[in-house]
Amino acid sequence: MQNPIAPKKHVLLLYLLPGFLLYTFVVVVPIFVAAYCGFFNWSGGPKMRFIGFRNYAELFKDGVFWLSFRNNILLTVISAVGQIGIAFLFASLLSSGLVRAKAFHRTVIFLPCVFSAVVVGFIWSMIYDYNYGLINQFLKLIGKGSAVKPWLSDPKWSLVLVTIPLVWQYIGYYMVILLSAYSSIDRSVLEMAELDGATGWKKAVYITLPLLKNTLFVCLTLCIAGSMRVFDNIYVMTGGGPGNSSSVMALYAYNTSFVRYRMGYGSAMSILILALSLLIIGGSRGLLARFNRKEGT
Amino acid sequence: MGASAPGARKRGSLRRTIGRVIVNFLMIVFSVSCLYPVVWLFYASLNNKRDFTVNPVALPKAPNLDNYFAIFSQSDMGVWMLNTLRNTAVSLPLILLFGFVIGYLLSRFHFRGHTALYGYFLLGIVIPIHALMIPLYVQFKKCHILNRWFTLPVAYVAFGMPIVIFLVESYVHSIPVEMEEAATLDGSGFSRTLFSIILPICRPVLVTAGIIQFFTCWNEFSFALILVSKDTLVTLPVGMTLFKGQYSTDYPGMMAAMFLSILPAIILYLAFSKQIIKGMVTGAVKG
Repeated sequence: MQNPIAPKKHVLLLYLLPGFLLYTFVVVVPIFVAAYCGFFNWSGGPKMRFIGFRNYAELFKDGVFWLSFRNNILLTVISAVGQIGIAFLFASLLSSGLVRAKAFHRTVIFLPCVFSAVVVGFIWSMIYDYNYGLINQFLKLIGKGSAVKPWLSDPKWSLVLVTIPLVWQYIGYYMVILLSAYSSIDRSVLEMAELDGATGWKKAVYITLPLLKNTLFVCLTLCIAGSMRVFDNIYVMTGGGPGNSSSVMALYAYNTSFVRYRMGYGSAMSILILALSLLIIGGSRGLLARFNRKEGT
Repeated sequence: MGASAPGARKRGSLRRTIGRVIVNFLMIVFSVSCLYPVVWLFYASLNNKRDFTVNPVALPKAPNLDNYFAIFSQSDMGVWMLNTLRNTAVSLPLILLFGFVIGYLLSRFHFRGHTALYGYFLLGIVIPIHALMIPLYVQFKKCHILNRWFTLPVAYVAFGMPIVIFLVESYVHSIPVEMEEAATLDGSGFSRTLFSIILPICRPVLVTAGIIQFFTCWNEFSFALILVSKDTLVTLPVGMTLFKGQYSTDYPGMMAAMFLSILPAIILYLAFSKQIIKGMVTGAVKG
């Protein structure tokens, strides 16, 4: 290092070390801890019994785990379509000049993003509530009293119903990302398109959509990563129930470890969740990149 | 809109007007759905239990602060708020400090192991930390650092660091090296240059990062749920869920607690919404 502004080696080390050690301890070591504990039958106490790959064998046959995994995927798909789709629609409308008070809408729609999952979950539990909920009150109002039900207790709908608040909360997030991409589109391109007769949705689909492709991909990867780690919203609203109908992987791992005290099994599950999440996040990125290249040629 | 416009154009403009109205209406409906819950939390929290059960969305007939007095005297709300405040106040400066120093070093100097270290911190953004809940609990338990005042800051600082490192790293690229070279020629040591010259230049990116991390720390739930269980250390979001179990019938009281818990975030957001939105966008796109 002949760089004159570079610090001496020990100074460099001194600056890097605290952060490096803390990060290693909290983010990297747990992966090895989980890998190790995953080989044991262990309830969290002093007794640990080595059982080899038996936890993993059980995991592959664990219907609830795969149901939770399926729920993660479903939730990802609903979120991707709902959040990014609606965000794209709103961003297009706001940039089209048709909508008044653009700054107001932007500020307000982003607001739910700063709320904690607990509050969002509570607000929506109130909307779904059997006695006081807005949905049931509305149904009674329009004379459809027979359709009134405890919404979150219906296993057929619970997953969709816990996903809706997530969609609602994060539309603003993707909307502001897309809006900032919109503002960087060259005005003259849009004006040319208008002169050529492209208006409304045609302009959106044929002109802006391709121009925003990269930003949409960023949104999509963010949305996938976000949906794979969903935990608190569902913990607050249904706890994964009724039954396991709205369970997701992180929630099932939590219940296994802290409610049923199967720490060894929970650790093995952590490793599998890590692997599956990385596979899906990495896979989707790779797929998008390939798609991108193909389009480019 | 001239009255003498030809029929076709008139129809077109009528259609456009209708479209405009529909589009505006749609946006207003959604915006209201984002704003209304906050307003509702507020006015319902001033209501009493009986009136609330009759009509949960009606304005209170005799608004009062009883629910607020009740949650502070009957629950640990005050303790939860202080805990969340402390966790955030301890974590935030450390996240920014570590992120700034490491981000700067990674950006400027190609020391041995530079690329490996870069990838190592990138890992922290890529891996889903929520998969680490259980092993982290096991590890903290073995090290006897569960249920301490510093437990959650330790986790938050480590989780928050990587994104700040990369935000700072890319920002420092835009600062000309001549800055440091001139300072070095003038006899400024490495540390002094780092903190009194580079740090002020990095202010915008640190504000951005600080905003993102504030909301992350303030709202964090999963790790607060498992790493800390002592009554005196419970944080606001976790406390809310205890509250929910304890007073499941006292909706107005719960709404008072909810409103209080999001109030700091709302005030901060309304005061700095432009910077916050910009910060979140930069953080997202860079990350």
